Amino acid sequence: MNLHHRRNLHEVESSRTADAAERGKFYLHPGQLFVSSEGHTVTTILGSCVAVCLCDPVAKIGGINHFLLPVFNGAGVTSPRFGDCSIKELIRQLLARGCRLHRLQAKIFGGACVLEAFKLRRNHLGESNVSIAEQLLQTAGIPTSSRDVGGQRGRKLIFHTDTGAAWVKAL
Amino acid sequence: MTVKKILLVDDSETVLQMEQMILQRDHYEVATARDGAEGIAKAREFKPDLILMDVLMPRLDGFAALRQLRQDPQTSAVPIVMVTSKAELESMETGYQIGCSDYIVKPIDGVELIAKVRNLLGE
Repeated sequence: MNLHHRRNLHEVESSRTADAAERGKFYLHPGQLFVSSEGHTVTTILGSCVAVCLCDPVAKIGGINHFLLPVFNGAGVTSPRFGDCSIKELIRQLLARGCRLHRLQAKIFGGACVLEAFKLRRNHLGESNVSIAEQLLQTAGIPTSSRDVGGQRGRKLIFHTDTGAAWVKAL
Repeated sequence: MTVKKILLVDDSETVLQMEQMILQRDHYEVATARDGAEGIAKAREFKPDLILMDVLMPRLDGFAALRQLRQDPQTSAVPIVMVTSKAELESMETGYQIGCSDYIVKPIDGVELIAKVRNLLGE
């Protein structure tokens, strides 16, 4: 069963106080990915975009992407703006840093469709973004331990790369 | 088929031209405004199906214009995509709280822009 990690950010702030001093902070822009073996707090804002968070809890190494479109259209160069490129690159970079594939755990966030009129429509951009993430993680054999996807509101996501902990605030 | 109407609000002529070129290639009818105040007036007159709104503009910025458009029953349901620079990205939390539908980041990518526009127009 999928778990939803939705808590008030005030709780998050107080629970992070102890380690705030030693954690680096990183703001993840759309179309970027970020991998760290030092323990970072990564923040990003999601609308129809999706973020996949991956963590190897034994190695304490994790990473996160923020992609805008599900599949690379073949024009120009590949880029982390596309879900298929971005997820494969995220996994590649984590394995290159010493993570083990069988230990990776995933969390998926985002994929909103903010318009009331389209909430029942299938295959909107957000849903396609979530779908490609689920497909690729399944193909790679990486279990998804938590997800908070779809809906009609944007999200602020905070992710700790070393523990895999994630918090979401609906915007 | 009815041609969908898109209002572009930006104080940069270059950005307006770029957005216009991408959207007209996809056969959308486009109108433009150069600041938030003109954008609000144009939205009431042009009755767009979607608005692309810059964040930082003279006279009335994008968030203030978004707030006014959301309070007006005539425009409250129109999808509004904020067009932001990387430096303004963290302010997008405010954008969602006021009621934007999505956001894109400059420099504008044609594929991404069209995908978001089609998505929000239900195409």
